[in-house]
Amino acid sequence: MIRQLLPILCILLLLSGCVPNEFTVENQTGEDANEAENLLKKDDRIKGAAALFYEDHLIVGVRVKTFDRFNKRKIAKELEKKLKETYPDLSVFVSADSKILTETNKLILKDDAKGIKKKIHYLISLSEEET
Amino acid sequence: MDQKKYAKLEQGITPKPPILKNCIKAFLVGGAFCLVAQFIALFYMTFFDFTERTASNPTVATMIFISMLLTGFGLYKKIGQIGGAGASVPITGFGNAVVSAAIEHKSEGYVLGVGGNIFKLAGSVILFGVFSAFLVALVKTILVKLGVVSW
Repeated sequence: MIRQLLPILCILLLLSGCVPNEFTVENQTGEDANEAENLLKKDDRIKGAAALFYEDHLIVGVRVKTFDRFNKRKIAKELEKKLKETYPDLSVFVSADSKILTETNKLILKDDAKGIKKKIHYLISLSEEET
Repeated sequence: MDQKKYAKLEQGITPKPPILKNCIKAFLVGGAFCLVAQFIALFYMTFFDFTERTASNPTVATMIFISMLLTGFGLYKKIGQIGGAGASVPITGFGNAVVSAAIEHKSEGYVLGVGGNIFKLAGSVILFGVFSAFLVALVKTILVKLGVVSW
């Protein structure tokens, strides 16, 4: 029984690694979002990102390449600094945590704008938790 | 027959353990545990408000709980026979050590038997874990105070 299921399981596990890595940028402000997109795409340590411009906030979730995960917090910090220089009017938040990436993607796909700001604040406070 | 002769004889007779094979088995079994734990961490991140950093604590607790159940049902020793170090080194081995000691001494009563012996095997893990954590924290505190690294 197990011997029959094993190959199927192996294939499923291998295929489940094929998550699409893409760059999504959603702009709901008057700022120019292309610069952020170029900055994210230019960085060869990053294989996917989601950025959301909303009112005075810019929230970015990035997925770093496997072996750069050792420095993922440093990479996020660097990006945050660069984005802050590009958008001095916005409060920028960058995280390499996959939770932030998925939640940002969810926010981008969300239809109604109600509660987005609250959610962004909640995500920022969530990423500051240590334990 | 003196000691040296005996040692030589013993070495000749004892079958050689298949080290490479054992290593591969341990790697695969330990990796399988980690795969399950990764899925549990993903579950906590998807359905609850845990980030990658905070998801580790409930994941560890769940893995220990699963290994305790497996030990109680007698399945963990079968995994341990195949996996060897791969089954005992991850955190699941800790749960196994605690529960198997508790089961073994249940016949001696709950207070002196279970209570007194439950950490018989896992006690050294706790002691040296706490001690080494203390040492590492001490070194890091000194380094931070000296300004070499930051928290």
